[in-house]
Amino acid sequence: MPEVSYREAVRDALSQAMRQDEDVFIMGEDIAEMGGSMGVTQGMLDEFGPERVRNTPISEAAIVGAGIGAAVQGMRPVVEIMYEDFLTLSLEQIVNQAAKHRYMSGGQLKVPLTVRTQGGAGWSPGAQHAQQLEAWLVHIPGLKVVFASTPADVRGLLWSAIYDDNPVIFFEHRTLYPIKGDVPDEIEPIPLGKARIHREGEDVTVVATGRLVHEATAAAEEAEKEGVSVEIVDPRTLQPLDEQAIVDSVKKTNRCVTAHEATTRMGFGAEVAAVVQHAAFDWLDAPIERVGAKFAPIAFAPVMEEYIVPHAADVLAAIRRTVGRNGN
Amino acid sequence: MATEVKLPRLGQGMEAGTIVKWLKSEGEPVAKGEPLYELDTDKVTQEVEAEASGVLLKIAVAEGEVPVGRTIAVIGDEGEEVSVEAEAEAAPEPTAEVKEEPHEEGSPAPAREDERERGRAASAEQAPAPSEPAPSRTDGRVKASPLARRIARERGIELGALRGTGPEGRIVAEDVERAAAQPAAAPAAAAPAEVERVPLTSIRKTIARRMTEAWEAPVFQITMSADMTRALALRERLVERMPEGGAKPTVSDVLTKIAAAALMRHREVNAHFAGDAVEIHPSANVGIAVATERGLVVPVIARAEALTIQQIADARAAVVGRAREGKLQQQDLEGGTFTISNLGMYGVQQFVAVLNPPQAAILAVGAAEERPVVEDGELVIRPMLTMTLTCDHRTIDGSTASEFLRTVKELLEEPGLAL
Repeated sequence: MPEVSYREAVRDALSQAMRQDEDVFIMGEDIAEMGGSMGVTQGMLDEFGPERVRNTPISEAAIVGAGIGAAVQGMRPVVEIMYEDFLTLSLEQIVNQAAKHRYMSGGQLKVPLTVRTQGGAGWSPGAQHAQQLEAWLVHIPGLKVVFASTPADVRGLLWSAIYDDNPVIFFEHRTLYPIKGDVPDEIEPIPLGKARIHREGEDVTVVATGRLVHEATAAAEEAEKEGVSVEIVDPRTLQPLDEQAIVDSVKKTNRCVTAHEATTRMGFGAEVAAVVQHAAFDWLDAPIERVGAKFAPIAFAPVMEEYIVPHAADVLAAIRRTVGRNGN
Repeated sequence: MATEVKLPRLGQGMEAGTIVKWLKSEGEPVAKGEPLYELDTDKVTQEVEAEASGVLLKIAVAEGEVPVGRTIAVIGDEGEEVSVEAEAEAAPEPTAEVKEEPHEEGSPAPAREDERERGRAASAEQAPAPSEPAPSRTDGRVKASPLARRIARERGIELGALRGTGPEGRIVAEDVERAAAQPAAAPAAAAPAEVERVPLTSIRKTIARRMTEAWEAPVFQITMSADMTRALALRERLVERMPEGGAKPTVSDVLTKIAAAALMRHREVNAHFAGDAVEIHPSANVGIAVATERGLVVPVIARAEALTIQQIADARAAVVGRAREGKLQQQDLEGGTFTISNLGMYGVQQFVAVLNPPQAAILAVGAAEERPVVEDGELVIRPMLTMTLTCDHRTIDGSTASEFLRTVKELLEEPGLAL
């Protein structure tokens, strides 16, 4: 089992798909010579050439629109939006076109497009480059939404996204690129819509996504010292959502915390809380706690940025609240 | 010219009313006839309409009990001066707004770990939790988690007796399990639940006063049972023929009709005791005792003798609906000449009702249930209903009461005779 970084895992999934399949190609801003602003596609131009590793103009609408066109024509494009903050510029294409073609053509068209993007705070990128907008996309029928937290997951899920016949919005987190983890020798596709129990526990379930999976893990280790056993469920695919895995876990632990870096208000955790209270109402022993960013633009100043977005200590405080200990 | 709004007398015997809330606020224009405020009397809660048009200049009594005739508000022209003393508490002075001057600091470069650490630490800080856990029972509601409730339900444990150790003093599963594991004698050691003090509502006060008054009347009771075979068959037939949108006739509706017919044949029972006279009424205005969340009320079905059972059912459904919603009007409650109290739906076999003065009698009705009875020397099973008539001896005597009750029994056993 080789150990690779999250960044290498993404590159490996892309490269292996392109090696075995002429229909797969990548497009995006500065992804060719420069290897992408996060370095994910470094070296791919040399291996696959400019026809399949294509730089684009700075127009997110055009990038996604071209991807949709190619997908409808039978290709399996993977386009990159440099920051998920800029997804907002391509939302017309994603929401009204990619998500709707299959439905509006009565199934005659399909859009096997993958839109890779990344974002997140933790390195002072400023208010316009640090957001987590996954909840916006989960709200749209016709899209699938993935948010992977580990190298093994990101590789297996990206593979499934590329080979899914529906448009998939694939979120990566900027601060996860350097993290390392074991991956299987061969790519093992991870089905979309299947959660993973990241850590087993008995007393509290933390449903966490992206960077917060790792913050929750640190919080769980602290809680363990206090005698509280924490289970972490990473849905991995936000749409479709593996409700069963989440509900099963909460029925076991009777307590639930949701955790993501995105703003708490109307965040993905709100949906998880709604699912849990409905399906596991009679199993809940405490109100569901939500952890997310404070309702504010993400500040540039490091001290303020850290103040706004959630960390392990916030998850730990929420865990303590669910077990009736003073949160601090 | 300003018009003073005075607390109206909405019914005989009304001395005071409780203003629940104003539907208009000071300064708002009001048209004559528009609902102005909600008034809780000892019988009903109702909206009171404005008697003048203009602007609601002043609310003198924001809420609470007020004697009849007292000025509670003033309606007049915009800007008019009014001199009524406000009873409502003056609104607190708005606190001066603190304006913070935005101040800018130099933008520090990113990736300074000590700063990040300070931000992280500040981020997780929460308001300190109260040191004492709050009681699980506040305002009569027990704070318990859904899981704790389920376990308590399954094991038959009373949540109100437990002390919660969960977040904010909530009773959690562990508390219930601990209680379940304790031997049966243990509850004695547990802290006793607190006595709950529930102030009397207007309705409750009225019930208390009127029932105490009723106790002064010299009453006697007589009891009879009726074979309900035909009355029940009649009711079933009526249910089958129920018109679209009609209310489903009940045993009570049949009883109302039968009682009204019997009252018309024994009019001395359809009477009020008026101190120095007995008032004999021309129509049977039958009151039905109805349990509501607010307490017992007795809406009246007027002229029941002239209504069909279906019409009685419709009228009863409407008035009971209003009673349950707390929307009874004064006229729904007035003019009763006789009262029926039916506890049959609770499985009560028979009971004694307390007189509803000044009415001469009240009929207490139990459940229609199958009982063994002797008929022509044979033991047979019949649906039987036992009724007890409470009578005011100042108004009627035992023989009158017995004749009346025998008529009720005969009409129930042969409803056709009520025609």
